[in-house]
Amino acid sequence: MSLWVDVAEAAAVLNVAVLAGLVGVWARSYRRLGSKHALGLLVFGGFLLAENLLWVYAYSFDAGFHAWLYEGTPFTRQAMLGLCVLESVALLVLAWVTWD
Amino acid sequence: MEGVLWYVLAGTRGGTNRARILRALDDRPRNPNQLAEDLDLDYKTVRHHLDVLTDNDVVRNSGDDYGAVYLPTERVRDHWDTVEEIVAEVE
Repeated sequence: MSLWVDVAEAAAVLNVAVLAGLVGVWARSYRRLGSKHALGLLVFGGFLLAENLLWVYAYSFDAGFHAWLYEGTPFTRQAMLGLCVLESVALLVLAWVTWD
Repeated sequence: MEGVLWYVLAGTRGGTNRARILRALDDRPRNPNQLAEDLDLDYKTVRHHLDVLTDNDVVRNSGDDYGAVYLPTERVRDHWDTVEEIVAEVE
């Protein structure tokens, strides 16, 4: 098990947790405000949540995905890691402004 | 209306209370104490929400030193229909 892949998996799990919080805030907004703006955020969050659940599934349960990762070069694994970690940074910044 | 306004009201955890505050101030200008009482919110919370709304040029302070009241800015008044859209239902 390469460290890169472990870190990417952890980042995907973190993304799911952060998004669950964001979707919770936006769902409450939509219930109370009923506007298209609040609904738009909720739908946006829902799709990103689905994306990250897919990542978690691929990293944790999909043997084929792992086989494919290890056929690649170290760069393949680092690029995959980059996707989840960059998204984590973006989501943490969004959570920081949203939690206010 | 600047894109940030809808996020401040619809996107953030405190947004629904900020929307209630904006509605109340549109009804009539009030000071933080009156807002806290009228909306059943903590005084410190009200002050924080007013700071955020002021930073985003949504409300302004009337400028009297003693018992200053807050009111919606001209910019928000000009876009009041947009505010109504964002804040479709808040009580």
